[in-house]
Amino acid sequence: MTAHVPALMPALPELILASGALLLVLIGALRGESSHGFVHASSVLLLGLALLAIALGDGGTVVTFNGAFINDGFARFMKIAALAAALVSLVVSQGYLQRHKVEVFEYPLLVVLSTTGMLVMISAHDLIALYLGLELSSLSLYVIAAFRRDDLRSTEAGLKYFVLGALSSGMLLYGASLIYGFTGAVEFGAIVKALHGHAPTGVIFGLAFLMAGFAFKISAVPFHMWTPDVYEGAPTPVTTFFASAPKLAAMAMTVRVVMTAFPDVTHEWRQIVVFIALGSMVLGAFAAIGQTNIKRLLAYSSIGHVGYALVGLSAGTDAGVQGVVVYMSIYTVTTLGAFACVLGMRRDGHYVEDINDLAGLGRNNPALAFALAMIMFSLAGIPPLAGFFAKWYVFVAAVEAKFYALAIIGVLSSVVGAFYYLRIVKIVYFDDAKTAFDPLDSSLKAVILVSSLVIFLFWLYPAPLVNAASLAASSLH
Amino acid sequence: MVQAIVFLPLLGFLIAGSLGRVIGPRPSEIVTTGFLITGAILSWFVFFQVGYGSGPFKVAIAPWISSGALQVEWALRVDTLTAVMLVVVNSVSALVHLYSIGYMHEDPSRPRFFGYLSLFTFAMLMLVTADNLVQMFFGWEGVGLASYLLIGFWYEKPSANAAAMKAFIVNRVGDFGFALGIFLVFVLTNSVAFDPIFASIGGAAGKHFHFIGRDWDALTLACLLLFMGAMGKSAQFFLHTWLPDAMEGPTPVSALIHAATMVTAGVFMVARLSPVFELSPDALGVVMFIGATTAFFAGTIGLVQNDIKRVIAYSTCSQLGYMFAALGAGAYSAGVFHLFTHAFFKALLFLGAGSVIHAMHHEQDIRRMGGLFKSIPFTAVMMLIGTLALTGFPLTAGFYSKDAIIESVYVAHHGPVSYAFILLIVAAGLTSFYSWRLFFLTFMGHKRWGADAAHAHHGDDHHHAKAHHDHGHDHDHHHEPHESPSVMLIPLTFLALGALIAGLLFHDSFLDHGYEHFFKASLTLSPDNHILHDMHGVPLWVQWAPMVMMVTGFVVAWIFYIAKPELPAALAKSQPLLYQFLLNKWYFDELYDFLFVRPAKALGYFLWKKGDGATIDGFGPDGVSARVVNFSGVIVRLQTGYLYHYAFAMLIGLAAVITWYMFGGAQS
Amino acid sequence: MQNLLADYLPLVVFIGVAAFIAIALMVAPFLVAYKQPDPEKLSAYECGFNAFDDARMKFDVRFYLVSILFIIFDLEVAFLFPWAISFHEVGLFGFWSMMLFLGVLTIGFVYEWNKGALEWD
Repeated sequence: MTAHVPALMPALPELILASGALLLVLIGALRGESSHGFVHASSVLLLGLALLAIALGDGGTVVTFNGAFINDGFARFMKIAALAAALVSLVVSQGYLQRHKVEVFEYPLLVVLSTTGMLVMISAHDLIALYLGLELSSLSLYVIAAFRRDDLRSTEAGLKYFVLGALSSGMLLYGASLIYGFTGAVEFGAIVKALHGHAPTGVIFGLAFLMAGFAFKISAVPFHMWTPDVYEGAPTPVTTFFASAPKLAAMAMTVRVVMTAFPDVTHEWRQIVVFIALGSMVLGAFAAIGQTNIKRLLAYSSIGHVGYALVGLSAGTDAGVQGVVVYMSIYTVTTLGAFACVLGMRRDGHYVEDINDLAGLGRNNPALAFALAMIMFSLAGIPPLAGFFAKWYVFVAAVEAKFYALAIIGVLSSVVGAFYYLRIVKIVYFDDAKTAFDPLDSSLKAVILVSSLVIFLFWLYPAPLVNAASLAASSLH
Repeated sequence: MVQAIVFLPLLGFLIAGSLGRVIGPRPSEIVTTGFLITGAILSWFVFFQVGYGSGPFKVAIAPWISSGALQVEWALRVDTLTAVMLVVVNSVSALVHLYSIGYMHEDPSRPRFFGYLSLFTFAMLMLVTADNLVQMFFGWEGVGLASYLLIGFWYEKPSANAAAMKAFIVNRVGDFGFALGIFLVFVLTNSVAFDPIFASIGGAAGKHFHFIGRDWDALTLACLLLFMGAMGKSAQFFLHTWLPDAMEGPTPVSALIHAATMVTAGVFMVARLSPVFELSPDALGVVMFIGATTAFFAGTIGLVQNDIKRVIAYSTCSQLGYMFAALGAGAYSAGVFHLFTHAFFKALLFLGAGSVIHAMHHEQDIRRMGGLFKSIPFTAVMMLIGTLALTGFPLTAGFYSKDAIIESVYVAHHGPVSYAFILLIVAAGLTSFYSWRLFFLTFMGHKRWGADAAHAHHGDDHHHAKAHHDHGHDHDHHHEPHESPSVMLIPLTFLALGALIAGLLFHDSFLDHGYEHFFKASLTLSPDNHILHDMHGVPLWVQWAPMVMMVTGFVVAWIFYIAKPELPAALAKSQPLLYQFLLNKWYFDELYDFLFVRPAKALGYFLWKKGDGATIDGFGPDGVSARVVNFSGVIVRLQTGYLYHYAFAMLIGLAAVITWYMFGGAQS
Repeated sequence: MQNLLADYLPLVVFIGVAAFIAIALMVAPFLVAYKQPDPEKLSAYECGFNAFDDARMKFDVRFYLVSILFIIFDLEVAFLFPWAISFHEVGLFGFWSMMLFLGVLTIGFVYEWNKGALEWD
């Protein structure tokens, strides 16, 4: 057996991140805690470099590492989105870490490592690479969820996430092994060939287990239970990260697996997607209503939004995938803005998380209040904001695939969901004022500004995103 | 270059609108006015380049909407028609900006005013440079918005608010038609961009469209719907009621929006869509009918109005009717030419009226003016020029364009030709009469103001609380009327120049031998439309008729208001019904109030109390929201916080999913 | 689905047999064994001397740390064996791959050393 060196260039961003992270581990270990600032800045730089490497890299579809790794339009689009999300959440974390005196160099490193895992997940073209990427990203996430070790809620969040994550990883592995057992292949292309349009029961079982693992990562019902607790318990910058990049990457992974490994058995996996999409939309809409903690509320909101995105996937068409991609991109931009606002909720030097703390924001800080209102309207899907178009694309895809019931339930639950978004707007503008928040960090201001500008002006010029998403979707086959 | 023309006003709006409070009024004025003057100069370059030089061109900005068959782009289409509009819009807008520096000098929210003016200009430019119907609709709504904001600029004044709302709502009726028209055109041609529409609309001729129980000629229906939009925007008969009320806005606004530019958008739209309208003689007949009717009807009302701005407003309405009559006759270039000349002299008249109002300390009732020629001779001369041009005095701008319209209607082949011709001739006489009446009452005769007249002060322009304080004039002791500052007089001079020579210079290009070369393909005439040729061969009496009517109007006005000033009152007394009918504007407002406003309010009240409050709220939102909250409580209780519950839920979920698979029809 | 379940029938039989034997062996002593308890028999027994305290005491968390670190290096060796055996077959690429792996591991080792994870106190 003579092994030859596989093409490495398609994996350039992953290599940049991995080698950079190793170097930074060394620097951090040798120079101790004082190196935090340097490591933080370098990590941001690394993510930016990886982003550039993708943006300036070649187009086209390349498969390497013996079919384990693919670099195509879809991968590039989702990677850029995930890297940008990771970069933003790293940038906004600085102020929080300083104020809580938890400036350790491991934090940015874990974010980088986790992002590396996500890139691998997005590009994975066989089940083993997929699992490797998933675990690399998940293990890092477990640690940063529990990253404020002296904070009870943070450690609880980390532990819960870890245990349930291990359970879901087990399910995923079990599913993968079933699929391997019944098809004799782990590479997606080989799986398609082995199935030739017909899925034996064992593969269906395996698919169900696999999807359970995916659903956990994207926090879809009924594998969502960790989400509210972890979102609430984890430090806010970590939650910001959780809500953006990993969700995006996991969604990309789900889309890729079902669209490239099981394209001819759409009917089989579509049912489970419909099932969890329905559950997520309904639960996301209803459960958020009673919440008082804004992070918890956003957790339920994210469950609901995953449901909407899955509506697009359930169509199983290119248009559906395009809808998912557009949806996740817009959702990521919006949610980053929302969490930046949450990070801006600081009164007398302390971070506050209660929704009622927002009262009177409309008078104390009209600009922030307006941005928050725009973000909430966008999450509720009110035209002409970006969130409306996101929903539009997925629902249109669902209707075109004749999933009328799904689309109707989706629209109804988004009406219910609008209630709690509007409640925030109501509190911001109509409740009696409390004392003003402390001034925002400039990085937060920038993120909120960019996010709300994108939301606000998307209708003027949606073509770049929509066209890129369409290209990404069509590159899947 | 054209990008600069279109987007400089937007930049000006953004600067004045967002930074106005920071940088103060003076810089806002300078920035917006400077941008507009630059834009106006560039527009003239474009005008000569497109009309006499290299010809039309297109500038793509960006793709906008891409959804199935619907492809919409942001693009600027500059052909001769657009170039004419660019010149009109930017020149008048620049002069109005300049004029407003003087006119509004005592208003505290000038940055807002100049921001709105620039916003309006931007929207108008988007409208005229649109390359597709959707972009045009964007501009169309934009000017509607800006018009709303500017009419209601003095929002402390209830009448201004009401007028702004009226303008907005009446325009909605028209816009609804316009939107439906766009939809129908899209259905017929599968496109909203002009070039594909013009290329394929011929194939739609003769198609039928089933709607409310009968077949319609699709093309005619589309044209009529589009024309409905034009009627709203251009204040044509039935949808004209907002225009006189819009005079509640500051006078420069009236000059810019409600005389020279926005109200001509309808004319522009029909001219732009000439390839479509040409295919539907029936629609053109309707256009001519409405146009001629408006010309006559607004003229009659203008006879008896006493507010200086309202007289000019009805005159505008009437002149727009002329333009539509020309379009209906198929003489698009005549309509556009009148649009072009009218912009100059009507803006001149409005700004002149503004200067009078300024001089009279915001008095607008011409019954309380008189003899002002001695006090403000410059303004008076300017108004005289405007009046001459409006009435069509030989060699002035109006002479060429108005006569061309009347002649073209005379030779038109289809539609209510003789009806339109007679009304237009009569309207020419009415125009002459009310214009000279305005001039005589304002500038000639005795003083009816100051110490000479018992002073009652109401119905004026500036009821602005702040203005009263800042003005520095005590209303009870009238000072002599004063000539306006030169920043207001310079724009008047420019416009007067245009009113005098625009017709002389350009009539060849618009109407005669230069037509082909000038308009190129921007206006389309069907092969059997020879109207531009025929109109030169009309009988001599047709050529002289407008002139005779003009002189008649002048003479009657002279007799009524100079020679025998007691005559009008006597006439009004002897014909009370007719007088009241005209004074109350044919009772249109009352009619609409009775037909639409009251029933709508009653229906709204009923639906609110009985329909919404009792039925829907009771069974709908209130009931549903209570259930939602209950359900949400149940779901939240599932979230116990115990790890093993969560793990259990995951396993149950997995079991459920697999069961669903095995028994849910997924078996193969 | 019927086929699938039929395939697993031997497995079910096997599980059943195993369960039966295990339960039988657990239950049998209760039924047949000779019982005569006294205090000495029931007390905790600890290598020849009396118990100091409850046997269920807390372990120091450092034990876990050490064991986790041990597992990592243990696994490393598990990787090295097959590599070493097929060394002449994997070639230069195989060699450098393992070197890379060991390099990464070394960086991890440097980190844990510098963080003081190997010190007991």
